[in-house]
Amino acid sequence: MKFNVKTVLQRSPRLGELSQIAGKLDVCLETPLALLHTQAGHIPHITHEVLKLVTQEPHFLQIPVVSMHNYLEAIHLYDGRVADFVGSKDSLTCVTLNDPSNLMKQGHHNKDKVPIFTKRGKVLYDSENYMDMVEKLRPDMYIILSDGDTNMTSSNKRVSKAVENTVSFNQRCIERHKKSEKLKDAFVIAPIAGGYCVKSRKQCLELLSPNEPDVQGYLIDGLHNNGPEVELISFSEVKPIVDYVISKLPPGKLRAIQGCWSPLNIIKLVNSGIDIFDTSYCRILTERSAALTFAIDAGEASESYEINLRHGKFSEDFQPVLKECKCVACQGYSRAYIHHLLTVQELLGSVLIMVHNIHHMLRFFQKIRDSVREDKLNELEDRVAAQIKLLHCHKEQLASSELSRNSTE
Amino acid sequence: MTTIKSPLSFAILGKCGSSKARVGKITLPHGPVDTPVFMPVGTQGTLKGMLPEQLKAMGVQILLANTYHLGTRPGVDILLKAGGLHKFMNWDGNLLTDSGGFQMVSLLKLAEITEQGVKFESLNEQKDQVMLSPEHSIEIQNAIGADIIMQLDDVVKTTVPDKERIEESVHRTTRWLDRCIKVHQNPSTQNIFPIVQGTLYQDLRKISIADHIKRDVNGFAIGGLSGGESKDDFWKIVHLCTDLLPKNKPIYLMGVGFATDLVVCSALGVDMFDCVFPTRTARFGCALTMVGQINLKKKQYATDLQPIDKDCDCSTCKNYTRAYLHGIVTDLPVACHLITVHNVVFQLRLMKTIRDSILNGTFVEFVQQFMLAIHPDRDYPTWIKDSLTAVNIPLL
Repeated sequence: MKFNVKTVLQRSPRLGELSQIAGKLDVCLETPLALLHTQAGHIPHITHEVLKLVTQEPHFLQIPVVSMHNYLEAIHLYDGRVADFVGSKDSLTCVTLNDPSNLMKQGHHNKDKVPIFTKRGKVLYDSENYMDMVEKLRPDMYIILSDGDTNMTSSNKRVSKAVENTVSFNQRCIERHKKSEKLKDAFVIAPIAGGYCVKSRKQCLELLSPNEPDVQGYLIDGLHNNGPEVELISFSEVKPIVDYVISKLPPGKLRAIQGCWSPLNIIKLVNSGIDIFDTSYCRILTERSAALTFAIDAGEASESYEINLRHGKFSEDFQPVLKECKCVACQGYSRAYIHHLLTVQELLGSVLIMVHNIHHMLRFFQKIRDSVREDKLNELEDRVAAQIKLLHCHKEQLASSELSRNSTE
Repeated sequence: MTTIKSPLSFAILGKCGSSKARVGKITLPHGPVDTPVFMPVGTQGTLKGMLPEQLKAMGVQILLANTYHLGTRPGVDILLKAGGLHKFMNWDGNLLTDSGGFQMVSLLKLAEITEQGVKFESLNEQKDQVMLSPEHSIEIQNAIGADIIMQLDDVVKTTVPDKERIEESVHRTTRWLDRCIKVHQNPSTQNIFPIVQGTLYQDLRKISIADHIKRDVNGFAIGGLSGGESKDDFWKIVHLCTDLLPKNKPIYLMGVGFATDLVVCSALGVDMFDCVFPTRTARFGCALTMVGQINLKKKQYATDLQPIDKDCDCSTCKNYTRAYLHGIVTDLPVACHLITVHNVVFQLRLMKTIRDSILNGTFVEFVQQFMLAIHPDRDYPTWIKDSLTAVNIPLL
């Protein structure tokens, strides 16, 4: 697999292309791109058969090792790639360590090892068993093992430890990669650690630079501990680090970021020059029964940024989630029906919300690409920002009316 | 005089030369139904995470929904505003609803049955006592708009020995049938089926049938079975009912859906079945096969790289191994969806095999092989031996 930047500017929003994919030479994916966040290879609530009803486009599954760890024994015996094993042989796959939709447990560090928390408890990964796993899974792309356990509040000591571990993992994983016949076509992404400390980021970048010829992309890691709170991170907090790291990266390499970033921050990150994201945001939305309804195109009617279908006001609302949406959920099902399904705790409720959210997110990324191409990303940003502002006003109003009601009681 | 076009026609397409098994086609307002048919249960207006688009692609022709649940939530008002359940749930195939009576008695401990109806403690906080009368049941079922609806019946557990009470229930069920027919608003689009009662008493079953067949209805249901009675008692009642009910109308055996029961009861002449089992069991990781069910949670499947059933052509068996399913079963909702797909397709395939073998004259052989596969040591349960012997199918 090769990555080519199609636009000339270095930092500003850019278009790129992933192509020459081994075994899938006819496939070409344009960046900025959202990997489809999965757990054990499935978008939460959506089987691959249902996904075919959502999109026929080629797609990239993001597969967290933490969700595959329990398959160790089976994968050992299995003679195929992870895409086949999870039942989606036509998908491209990108293996990463943690699940960006779940908050990581902090701490539990061991020297040269990273803890992950599977459903059967804590497991330690080091370069060796991580690369064993990656070799077994044979993904099209993977992210080298890293110590990403830093956030805005991490101590200096934790940050420098994270850099030290990440550099050492990088060294060993790349040594393994170079010797691996099975991974010779795999696209390698190297994480950059260093939390919110520019000095540590600089150090990490410098220490990783000798291995540059062997990696095709970089991940800006260590900005958060995954999970729903990533949605709430203010862009101004991450901007200095993102801009700094991007300014130091070789322009021809892919730049990735992970986590449940809000659509507005996604636009801002694209603006800074990020090429690859994931759809984990759709999971946290769906888990809170929320469907995305913000307007993507100019002139598109939208009453709000997102709607919570659990709310009683939808019980007799026979409109689709979003009027002009072409997804399977909006084509056949009403808000009232989804509300009913949620009220009686039926599985189809989450299925329909997720179908819509994924569809909306993929449409959003298509719009981002078109906007970059037409040099109109600012317009899209303004449109989404205005809708988010409305949402916040609305939330404040709700909170204050709630407050006044409580005080009168 | 204007004649209302019947919302049900039933054509018998073929019969087994030995047993009472038959193949038919029921034509309903939302399309044809090939019988014998198994109807998957979508209690609350949805079938365990399946999109109706998927059910259609599998070949499901009719789904069952529960009146008691839908009457509680979303309720009659919303169903009416939605234009009925078909529209609400985006299902343009056929629907059948039960009367709600069975749920009253099975779910609610404090149900009290009087001539007026079933009185029960509401789960709804606002009203403490609610009455489900025959009229109310039909009102809800009219709002739901299913193609086949059930009369409210006086359900007595098959394990109740009080014959007097059972006799009362037989007569009351017929009186309630008349009340249901009287208030039924949509006779041109919805078929009301009476329910034969009488638990395990042959004489009471005969009375119930004799009364019900005098009514102008398009099909019949056999109720009050599959409630914990012994199989030796069960099959005899089914056998009796299919003997006495008219041959030109479909016969629906309520609450039966295990593979063996479907095969035996098809041989006894039943046309329609329903059961929550295939879809409910999927949630616990159980997948159905022709020789019984497998629980994918079991450790032995952790490294089993075969599909659930190599002869099954469902999307789950085509795309996933037992080992993959083992790793996510009871953990991720998609595992439930994947196994549900298989289990529904399994039921459909079984019924298609039954129909095909009846049509091409190999039903007897099919039943023999089916039973032999499950009991390779020929240690057949007596009820299977007896019931099949009664319809001229000797086991191997």
